[in-house]
Amino acid sequence: MENEEKHLTGEESLRIITDMISKTKVNISQGSFHLLFWGWLIFACSLGEYLLWKLTDFASPWYVWLLTIPGVFVSLIYGFVKGRKELVYTYATSIYIWTWMAFLFAAIVLFIVVWGNFQFIGPLILTLAAMASFISGIIIKFRPLIIGAITFWIFALVAHFTGPSVSPLAVPAAMLTGYLIPGYILKYRKDHGTI
Amino acid sequence: MAQFKDLDPVLHSQLRLAIVSLLVGVETAEFTFLKEQTGATSGNLSIQITKLKEAGYIEVTKKFRNNYPLTLCRITPLGKQRFSEYVKALKDYLNPDQK
Repeated sequence: MENEEKHLTGEESLRIITDMISKTKVNISQGSFHLLFWGWLIFACSLGEYLLWKLTDFASPWYVWLLTIPGVFVSLIYGFVKGRKELVYTYATSIYIWTWMAFLFAAIVLFIVVWGNFQFIGPLILTLAAMASFISGIIIKFRPLIIGAITFWIFALVAHFTGPSVSPLAVPAAMLTGYLIPGYILKYRKDHGTI
Repeated sequence: MAQFKDLDPVLHSQLRLAIVSLLVGVETAEFTFLKEQTGATSGNLSIQITKLKEAGYIEVTKKFRNNYPLTLCRITPLGKQRFSEYVKALKDYLNPDQK
C-alpha cells in the first residue's frame, strides 16, 4: 500500500474493509496450553484423590487439590508473559480472558462457601467451568470446546446422582472430554493461532 | 445516491481506510501489527497514522517494552462514527437502488 493517494473506487474501498476486518481474528495461540495444563492437573488431582481414598488410609485425600494453587500462578504468569508479546488485542480476546478470570473468582468464592463439605464441590466446579468453556467455545468458534462444555454439565449431573464409588470418577472423565480432547485438537490443528 | 465527494476524504485513502478497518475490530494494535497487515512501509504508515490522529479518528500511545519503543493505536468514538458513516455512504454508492 504505497500509493496512498491513489483514486479508490467503491469496490476497492469495500475490498480493503473486508480484507482488513478478516485479519483481526480472535487470537487463540494460548488456548491449547491452558486447556492441556488444567486438563492434566485436574485429571491428576481428581484421580489422585480417588486412589488415595480407595487404596490408602490417608485421612485427607483432598489435600492433592492444593496443587491447583500453584497451578493458578503458573497459568497467570504464562498468560501474562505470552500476552505481553501479542501485537494486537481484540475485544474477543479480552472477553475470552475475562470469562476465565470470572471463573477463577467464582471458584475461589465457591471454595470458601463450601469449605468443609468438599464432597459437593465437584459438580459445582464442573458446572461453573462448563459455562466458561461454553462461552469460550462460542467466542473462538471451536465446536469441540462447546461439546466439551456440554459433557461437563452431563458429568456434573452424573457426579450428583451416582453413589460415592462412581461420582469421584466423573471429574477425571470430564477432564478428558472437556479439556484434554479439545486441547489436543486445538494444538494440532493447522491454523493454530487464530480463528 | 451518494457520490465519491460524499465519502469522507480522511478515510477515502487506501492506507488510512485499511488502518481504520483494522482498528475498528480490535481494542488496541501495535504499529508493527498494522505494518504487517497493510504491507505499508514504516514511513508511509507513520504519515497516515499522524493524519488520522490529527483528525481525531485514532489515539496513539507511545510506551517502552524491554527498552524498545512501542506504538499502540486505538480507534476513537469519532473514528468509529466516521467509519460507520463511510460504510453507509459506500453502501449507498454501490447499491443506489436499495437506498
